[in-house]
Formats: sequence, C-alpha cells, structure tokens
Amino acid sequence: MSGQTSKGTIVAEELTKVFNGKVRAVDGVSFSVAQGEVYGFLGPNGAGKTTTVAMMTAGLGATSGRASVDGVDVLRNPEEVKRRIGIVFQEMTSDGDLTGRENLELAAALYGVPRGDVNRRVSGLLERMQVADAGDRLAKTYSGGMRRRLELAVGTVHSPSILFLDEPTLGLDPQGRAGFWRYVQELRREHGMTVFVTTHYLEEADGMCDRIAIIDHGHIVASGTPAELKDRLGGDVVTIRPSQTDPSVADLLRAVPGVVSVTAQDGNFRVKCPNGEGLVPVLVDACARAHVGLAGVSLKRPSLDEVFLEFTGREFREDEGMSATDRAVMISRVQNRLRGRR
Amino acid sequence: MIRELGALTRRELLRLTRNPQAIMTSLLLPILYLLLFGQAFNLGNLGAPPGVLLSALRGAPTYFSYFAAGMAGFVAVTATLFIGANVIFDRLFGVLKRTSSTPAGPSAIFGSRLLAGCIQPVGLAFLVLGLAVALGQFGLTGLQVTASLSAIGVLEIVLAIVILSVMFASLFLAIGFSIEQPQTYFAVVNAINLPVLLTSAALSAWGLMPPWFRSVASYNPITLAVTVIRENLFAGSSNYYSVDPAVCLLALLAWAVWMIVIASVLAARALAPKN
Repeated sequence: MSGQTSKGTIVAEELTKVFNGKVRAVDGVSFSVAQGEVYGFLGPNGAGKTTTVAMMTAGLGATSGRASVDGVDVLRNPEEVKRRIGIVFQEMTSDGDLTGRENLELAAALYGVPRGDVNRRVSGLLERMQVADAGDRLAKTYSGGMRRRLELAVGTVHSPSILFLDEPTLGLDPQGRAGFWRYVQELRREHGMTVFVTTHYLEEADGMCDRIAIIDHGHIVASGTPAELKDRLGGDVVTIRPSQTDPSVADLLRAVPGVVSVTAQDGNFRVKCPNGEGLVPVLVDACARAHVGLAGVSLKRPSLDEVFLEFTGREFREDEGMSATDRAVMISRVQNRLRGRR
Repeated sequence: MIRELGALTRRELLRLTRNPQAIMTSLLLPILYLLLFGQAFNLGNLGAPPGVLLSALRGAPTYFSYFAAGMAGFVAVTATLFIGANVIFDRLFGVLKRTSSTPAGPSAIFGSRLLAGCIQPVGLAFLVLGLAVALGQFGLTGLQVTASLSAIGVLEIVLAIVILSVMFASLFLAIGFSIEQPQTYFAVVNAINLPVLLTSAALSAWGLMPPWFRSVASYNPITLAVTVIRENLFAGSSNYYSVDPAVCLLALLAWAVWMIVIASVLAARALAPKN
C-alpha cells in the first residue's frame, strides 16, 4: 500500500463497492487520514458515505481497492480492525432491553476491557455522558439525546485509537449536537483519537473537522481543509435572478469589473467575486442599464453549502433519496420478486 | 471467546427475565393442551382391560399421565421458538449490527443464544409436570408417577429436555439467521411445529399407532425425549420399552449435533461481512 499505514491512520486506495453487479455505490475512493485528525465525509443520501464507513470498519466487503485502519489491512484482517476501532452508527444500536450500565458492561466485555477496569470505566462514561442518574434504567426509556450519548459511550468504552462516526448527531437538537461534539473533542484531546465522521450538517463539519472530503455518486469530488475548500470558491457568491430567462445576462455580468466568474444555473446566475457586498449595487445597476428586470439578488459568504453546490452542482439537502445500500437492497428485492413470478 | 460468550449469554438471560410475557406464551400452549386436550381424551372410559391400556400407553396409568409427559417435551419447542425470533428483532433494531461490529465472533453470538435458549425450557418442563400433578388435587385427572424416580432418572429427564431444547433452539436460530421478516419467520415456524408435533408420540398413544406411523414417530426428536421422560415416570420393572433411555439420549444428541452444525453455518454466513 502506497499510502501512510502507521498507527492511528486511516487509508483508502481506489476503494470500490458494486452491489449486485450494477449499483456502483463507491467508485474508486482514495483518502488518507492522519493520526489525531478529524476527517469529515460529506455528501447527500445515496452518495456512498455509509457504504464507505461500512467497508472501512469491516462490516462490508469491498469489490476492489484497498483499505487500512491503524496500520491493519481491513480486507485481510477484519477481526483485528474491529478490535482497534470504535463505531457510532447512524441508527440506535444499543439494546433497549438492557440498562445503560448493562449496555456498557456488555460492550466492555466484548472489546476485552480488563475486568478490573470495567466498573470504573463504565461509571466514568455514564457520568461524562450525563446519563449517570439514568444508568440503571432500561435504555428504551431514554430520550433521543440520552440514547445518542449512550451510543457514543458504547462506541468508545474501550478507548479506541480510531473512532468512526456515521451521521452521529442525526435527529439531535442543536444543544444535543453541541454536547456530543464537545465530548468527541475531549476524547480527541485526551487520547489523540483519530475521528472519521460522516454528517449531513455542514456547519458541524465546518467547525469540527480538520479536513473534509465531499463525496457524490460514489466519487470524491473535492477535499481539503474547510478554509481551503471555501477559498476555491474565489470569494463571495452573488446570485442574480432575472425576472425573465435571458442567457445574455451572463455576458453582461462578466463585463462588470471585479467579477471573477459567472455560471448559469436553473435560470439564475452565480457571480463569484472577492467583495460581494460592494459589488451588489454595481451588478444591479448594470442590469438596470441593460433593461434586465430582476426578481431577486442574494449574497452568500463562502460556506460549505456553497462549496457543495460548486462541486456537485446542486444544493445540499438531507432528503435527496435513499442510501446506496438501500438502493441495492431494493433492486435485489425487486429482482427476486421478478424471478419468483417467472 | 469464553468472556464474550458469558457476556452475551448474560444479556440473553437478562432480556428473558424482563419479558415474562414470552415465558407465559411459551407455557400457554402446553397448559391449554393439558387442560383441554389431555382431560378430554380419557381412554379409561372405553372400558378396555387395564393391561391393554397400560400396553397402549407404555406403562402410563392414564392417557393424561402419558400426555403430560409429552407436553413436558413439547414445551422445549414452544420455549425455544422465541430464540430465533429474537435474532430477527435484534437485526431490525440494530443490536445485531452493533454486536457484529465488535470483536465477538459468530461462534460467541450463536453460542450465547443457544446456551440461553436451553436453560429456560428445563424449568418450564418441570413446571408443566408439576402443574399436571397438581391438577389431580382439583378434581381433574392428574399426572400419576408410577415408577420410583431415581436421581439418575431425574438427570436423564433433564438431559432429554436440554438436548431437545438445543436441537429446536438450533433449528429456530437457523431459521432466524436466514429470514429477515418476523411474519415470514412465524409462518415458517408454524408450518414446521404442527407436523413435528403430530408425527411424534407426544400426543398419540404408542400402542394405537399404525406400524408405519410408529416407524416415523420413533425417529422424531420429540418422541425420543418424551420416551426418556415416560420410561422414568412409568416404566418401573415393566418391559413396555425396548430401548434404553441412554440410546434415546444418544439418538437425540445426534439430532442436536446435526442441527447445531447447520445452524452455526447459517449464523456464520449471516454474521460475516456482506459482499
């Protein structure tokens, strides 16, 4: 493997997953995460985020490519990888019929936490996750936020050197999300933990991740630090919405001094410029002089939303469809039904 | 492996004790059979000479006594049924995904469910036998033990129920690991349960069976287990049984081993990383 494969690192090389020989959920994805880094994987539903996490955590075989976690080849030695990592899934996976404490004790035993350390570690985690008072209550009676915190505690009970978080804050309120991330950052500071996170919340990724990769249709379309990605936009983005469709408006806008580039999208024009605030009146004036009616003008500072739009050509939405795995399962079921009818 | 097996078995048993409805449901069918079916078939009313009846019921003094021993075996089927269903619910609720993501291997995950699955039926089987005896105190026909039950006899009964439970727990685990939807699971299990029960000697009087039926029934695992129970409860010094309980236990063990092999292969396949 040509990538860095030392302790605490995550490396993927041309990782590919094809379901049923047809659905290319992940297509030649390569990345490298350094020890102690928080690496964000951004993309809409069906982009291939969860499939990538499943392959990196030995839950799903890869069709081709290579992956290593903490210096261990995932495809050759999946059991060893499982021992070294922690995972928090996007769905609730703790046992609702066990108490919070029992869930943690079970996880500690399965991960081989020394028997003498279990009580101290479990009590410490319950305290830290602010569920100590509910530690002896069945997990199914927990609120959504408490349950998510319990999920994180279960995933980190063995103090792994690498933590995979798959949409960990899905469904949490802003306060819950902030608390969750606070704890992740604490873990990172205390243990130098490497964190690989997929998330829908761009502001979370912006604030928490050292580096980000944007994945779309199974490909990584951009990667870098949040600042680097935003810099690639070339500054602010002013969106001009003419009252009538008119392709010639693009040339009109390009001629305005200070405009870096203009792209047409769904009848709107995205104007990149270093100083959007100062340029908006000039752009409006140029349109007025050319007798172009405007239905709206908006200014956006560089954000990951804009970065996402730039690299994928569409807005970042949560409900863009089913995941790649779900699509594959659905196709498989339809095929089986059709076979059954024949 | 031992620690993982112990932790996962503890989890299964904790869940079991927190779900008394499942225990009640496991007991419901055998108890209904005892109260209705067992009481209704009073073969003594036919007026047949006692020797004929004893021979037909392999030494049991009444059909109810014969039948009660059969129900003690049948409870191993009804009590293990939930073990397979739990696999499906654990998959639906993500618990199986969590367990599979840990270093716990498929053998610990499968073994813990099997272990927990065969503890409960032993208690329930003795509860059924106790209830059958108690019914005699309430003006109904009750179970009459006519042989002097030795410690070895009790051990043989326990072994028979444990091995039968292992066999059926493996069968239901095999189905549970192979099927995704609960409704499909229960449909398949129902399709298996009744034929297995009806082709056994749990309900049917041995001496009244046509020869072909007796041949089929003699290989049925429920028959093998209830034969061990009946031999110890009723046989005494009589020669109604041509086969030693140890032979029945060995044959039952062969069934259990065969079923464990099939189920563990299916479990390993279900728990392996998907391709």
